[in-house]
Amino acid sequence: MAQLSLQHIDKIYDNNVQAVFDCNLDVKDGELIVLVGPSGCGKSTTLRMVAGLEDISAGRLFLDGKDITQTPAKDRDMAMVFQSYALYGHMTIYENMAFSLTMRKENPNVIHKKVLAAAEILGLTSQLNKKPAQLSGGQRQRVAMGRSIVRNPKVFLFDEPLSNLDAKLRGATRREILLLHKKLQATMLYVTHDQTEALTLADRIVCMSMGHVQQIGTPLELYDAPDNVFVASFIGLPPMNFFDVKVSGAKLIGGNFQVSLTPEEKDILQAYQNKEIILGVRPEDIREGAGGVPITVFSNENLGMNTLVHGYIGGLKTAEAKISAKLKGWQNYKNGDSASLIFNKKHFFDKDTTNAIRKEA
Amino acid sequence: MTNEDRQIQADRMRFTKNTLSSNLAILAILFDVFYFVSIYRSDVGSYYYNILIGASIVYNLLFMLAVFLSSEGVKNYKEGYSWLLAVVGILQIVRIFIIPARAHGAVAVIGGVETEVMGDGQYIRLIVFLLVSAACLLASAAINYNKCRILKEHMKTLEGKIV
Repeated sequence: MAQLSLQHIDKIYDNNVQAVFDCNLDVKDGELIVLVGPSGCGKSTTLRMVAGLEDISAGRLFLDGKDITQTPAKDRDMAMVFQSYALYGHMTIYENMAFSLTMRKENPNVIHKKVLAAAEILGLTSQLNKKPAQLSGGQRQRVAMGRSIVRNPKVFLFDEPLSNLDAKLRGATRREILLLHKKLQATMLYVTHDQTEALTLADRIVCMSMGHVQQIGTPLELYDAPDNVFVASFIGLPPMNFFDVKVSGAKLIGGNFQVSLTPEEKDILQAYQNKEIILGVRPEDIREGAGGVPITVFSNENLGMNTLVHGYIGGLKTAEAKISAKLKGWQNYKNGDSASLIFNKKHFFDKDTTNAIRKEA
Repeated sequence: MTNEDRQIQADRMRFTKNTLSSNLAILAILFDVFYFVSIYRSDVGSYYYNILIGASIVYNLLFMLAVFLSSEGVKNYKEGYSWLLAVVGILQIVRIFIIPARAHGAVAVIGGVETEVMGDGQYIRLIVFLLVSAACLLASAAINYNKCRILKEHMKTLEGKIV
């Protein structure tokens, strides 16, 4: 059992710069939580505070109900995997994996059993006599994970473990981490700036920006029902399109386009009649169709199964009129071609607060 | 120790170095250094003795090279180095009778004065250094030989399992 609870955690550095503001998070036993956000959003700082590598300026940290706010890192029973692997180059893989247990003066036979078991899980059995320099980046990261596994910690902490790997290897290692989580059923806290990693790995995602937690939820919740413009723009690739529009009856009126609202959508926007709001549309929620929003295409990127079409609404070449649509199949639009786009699903945000506008329960 | 413990111990050797044998060999070099640093204090002004010392210096260099290489060899469970270490270990004992035993109690005339070539204290120190060095080498050889045998047996068992 390993339940982690962060309660009103703040981080203020000596130079009075506040990196984390009032972070609240409850991690259930065996859950894989991914902290995601752009560089400098405080996700790594939060992870380091959990690990005990950074002091907690305010708030409380609990592990299985026990307050560990002031507990030194070595006594927290957590294992951390770093982006840079942090392996000892002069030691073999076996020695690297056994190192922490050797330092604790555990029985060598017990260490041996644990190392072999971890190597088996990670598919490293044939590499145990090699030095880290003889392994690929993905294998080295697996060794780093193995070093954590042998300790059998209560919580695993991953600090951007895949950032040093190339795209192909990143995908493979990501799947291995997911399998590892299923096998070990361990509580894991994972930091990344890559939203694809977050969406594919997480049981729940914590999306952060400027030190504030923006939204906590399952990957589907963050993708399908983002709480605010930041989450909507950060989750999803290519990012969501945003337009300033005015609600007018059953229509949304933009700079040079109009979109009809369904009765449900109209109902949601009841309180915003004749007010300006932000309309968000994901590129994958757009399809071609007659009577839609007219655009002038300026770029056509074929991705195989889909085509990413970029254009200007109404041909107006401004940043506000830019739109990206992920259309099905292989399209052959040329620069200057016209197209008509239908918005399948719309997201609405308050213009002042940037929070999502939803139907009140 | 249970049979399972013994098996695990043998299996561990597949991934760990034989540091005990290796370190004993290095220790033998250290005591040999103590030996030759102590013996070169003796100066009897004899041409024959100087040649002996010269030969001893050359032997010491070869000794250090051989034992250092062996220490690396035994670290990786190479059985052949056990024999080399054993031979060098026996030679360390033989060396007691080449210089120290002859020089002890001998008298040389230096500048018209009768001088004792090697006193009791120096003699005992030299014997101790050579004996400790020899013991380290022989122990290193024996331990490595034994571990190599166990590892070989274990590897045979594993190969049998794989087949």
